Amino acid sequence: MQKQYKTKKMHKNETLVAYICLIPSIIGLIFLTYVPLAAVLGLSLTKWEGVGIPEWVGFANYIKLFTTDPYFVDSIKVTIYFSFVAVIGSMIYSLAIALLLNRKIPARGFFRAVFYLPYVLPAMAVYIGWSWLYEANFGLFNYILSLLGIHKLKFIASSELVVPSLALIAVWLSGNLIVIFLAGLQNVPKVYHEAAEIDGANGWQRFRHVTLPCMTPIIFYNLLMALITNMQVVTPALALTQGGPGNSSRFISYVMYQYAFKSGKFSYACAIAFVSFLLIGVFTVILFATSKNWIFYEGGEE
Amino acid sequence: MKKCKKIISTILGLTMVFSLTACGGSQGETTSNEPAANAQTGTKQEATNDDVIHISYSYWGTPDEAASVQEVADRYHEENPGVVVDIVCIPNEEYVTKLNTMAAANELPDCGIMNEAGVLDFGSKGLLADVSDMYAGADAVPLDSITFKADGKPVAYSAANEILVLYYNKDLFDAAGVPYPSSTEAMTWNEFVNTAKKLTLDVNGKNATEAGFDPENIVQYGCTVDNWTWQLEVWALSNGGRWFSEDGKSCTINTPEVAESIQKVADLMNVEHVMPYRAGLTDDGVQSTICAGNVAMSTGGAWNIGTCLNGVDFNYGVARLPKMKDSVTICTGGPQVVFSQSKHPEEAMDFIKWYMKEENSWDSLIATGIWMPILEKYYTDDALTNSWIDNENFPEHDECVGALVDYAMNNAKSTCWYYVPHTNEFIELLRAVLGDVWTGDATAESVLNENYNALNAIFLGE
Repeated sequence: MQKQYKTKKMHKNETLVAYICLIPSIIGLIFLTYVPLAAVLGLSLTKWEGVGIPEWVGFANYIKLFTTDPYFVDSIKVTIYFSFVAVIGSMIYSLAIALLLNRKIPARGFFRAVFYLPYVLPAMAVYIGWSWLYEANFGLFNYILSLLGIHKLKFIASSELVVPSLALIAVWLSGNLIVIFLAGLQNVPKVYHEAAEIDGANGWQRFRHVTLPCMTPIIFYNLLMALITNMQVVTPALALTQGGPGNSSRFISYVMYQYAFKSGKFSYACAIAFVSFLLIGVFTVILFATSKNWIFYEGGEE
Repeated sequence: MKKCKKIISTILGLTMVFSLTACGGSQGETTSNEPAANAQTGTKQEATNDDVIHISYSYWGTPDEAASVQEVADRYHEENPGVVVDIVCIPNEEYVTKLNTMAAANELPDCGIMNEAGVLDFGSKGLLADVSDMYAGADAVPLDSITFKADGKPVAYSAANEILVLYYNKDLFDAAGVPYPSSTEAMTWNEFVNTAKKLTLDVNGKNATEAGFDPENIVQYGCTVDNWTWQLEVWALSNGGRWFSEDGKSCTINTPEVAESIQKVADLMNVEHVMPYRAGLTDDGVQSTICAGNVAMSTGGAWNIGTCLNGVDFNYGVARLPKMKDSVTICTGGPQVVFSQSKHPEEAMDFIKWYMKEENSWDSLIATGIWMPILEKYYTDDALTNSWIDNENFPEHDECVGALVDYAMNNAKSTCWYYVPHTNEFIELLRAVLGDVWTGDATAESVLNENYNALNAIFLGE
């Protein structure tokens, strides 16, 4: 009886301590995430250009976005196109590199650092360097093409090639995915590999039937993070293309920046921000909903 | 023991809470998220030791211009010891962006040179102080072509008169044996293209008029007509068209004359192969072409004489722009304004009035070629003209008289932002839609017709 009473009190104390320690994060969550989100939603229902008092207009901003705006509808298509190419490209690239870096090769540590390095370089420096590689008249890639006798390409200056070119830069930058895949690969129990080898499986079969299923939680995490990050892409547009030829690299975040800061139309940009939030939310929900079908958790069904 | 743990964890929790709110408070300062320009942001502090008032002045320009403006600020401080002017440099491509952000945060500088495209919009939002009495009672007023007008009333005056001219590399012309472009008589467009062809050389040394010319391996281009969007208006005017009607009440950018003028510029790249590819997204037309040494002719603003052509190692000349039908150039110039959010409007207005007097910006800006004078007398009175252009910073005297002085006096028309609002957004959309025209994937006519409704909506302010 005494012991039960003591355990209950201990339990209550522990819960109290836990809540006290959580207070900073809850405050952060409320003031840095929920309140701004509500403020953006509220502002998007008004008309406000930076000076004066916001004026209530209801859903007029949203209607204008989807009917007469010359940038927005194209920007949704371009952002989704870029996200798919960049996400699929970087997942395949980083998985392949992680597999290679998991083997016992000489100077393995050096190579791991080299492939991770692009992720930590300053973004503007990276993009300016790549802009010289892609330069339409005298860039390095065009020089190599002209040596091979192929017609020069305009890369980021042409509306068909700009998104694949920018996606290539994003793939090169995906060092963080490599590190996480490496950790996931090292978590695949060796006993499974040995068992498969005994049964006569070759490398490719082991990959498909042992490595990949064990890696599915990590793949899911990387896919989710890469999708969310790449749907908010804005730096290539700001640094290199300013929306590209026509609207072909005009990402949603760039349109938001354009309207908020270049034109001063803050409430309109808030409407764009909210639509972007809903779009990313939809993709995340789809990803979570379909995840049950292909993720294998070693601990069994939860 | 358990009580001790509880106390420690409570203290730890409270410390975290307080540290978060402390750093959360200072986050309220940051408002803009674009790359910050150099130098400090506009601060409005008042020194507590003496009565020195600090006013902030914003401008755009290269580091050379920065040095010139600092000299002006220092000279003002010598004459007015109670006021210190802190200069703030913001890159031209982001000027209105940064000012928009500062306006929303109520942190605009006290005064500054305003980007032309944003003047009328800032005026209509009430962000500019009234400067209509700046020239009250003065004996000379600035040229009418550089006066910003809303509903016919002056809102601001350009601090400098800048026109577009044609620069050319005399050494490359001599090497090819081609006569220089004239500074008193504009070439026709066909003559211009032919001259450019003679100066476009491929890797085998053949020029574009000879058989066997290889357009895939060009090492020297004949010309660059800058397609940085606002500068395209001069070709529309030269071809007999207008982007907007003269009274500023309607947008006429989808007329055949305007489409043809833009198409001719695009054809220089894709059909005639005399111009290196430019996307029209950056303000470095002269620096990246003629100053880099591999283009023989380049159009550009008169300010390049002082900002980048002063450092080149070849002989350059200045001539009139080629004409499509009429010989015109466009004039522009940022106006000096006082922002209405300023806490020191009288001191700021006094500085601006002092700055606008030619004598005060003479050595650092006018004599170096960065600014051209705004009062008519400098263009009509020979003695005053000579005092302006007869120095080592400018090319030959006769060339300057023809291509700068007389050209500005007789052939210059106002850029659209002097009388049309919302030009910042209009030009932004135009820049976006013309992208496919420069790559050759669409014709100017089709692009302008498709996008006319969107452009017109921006012009009407919808």
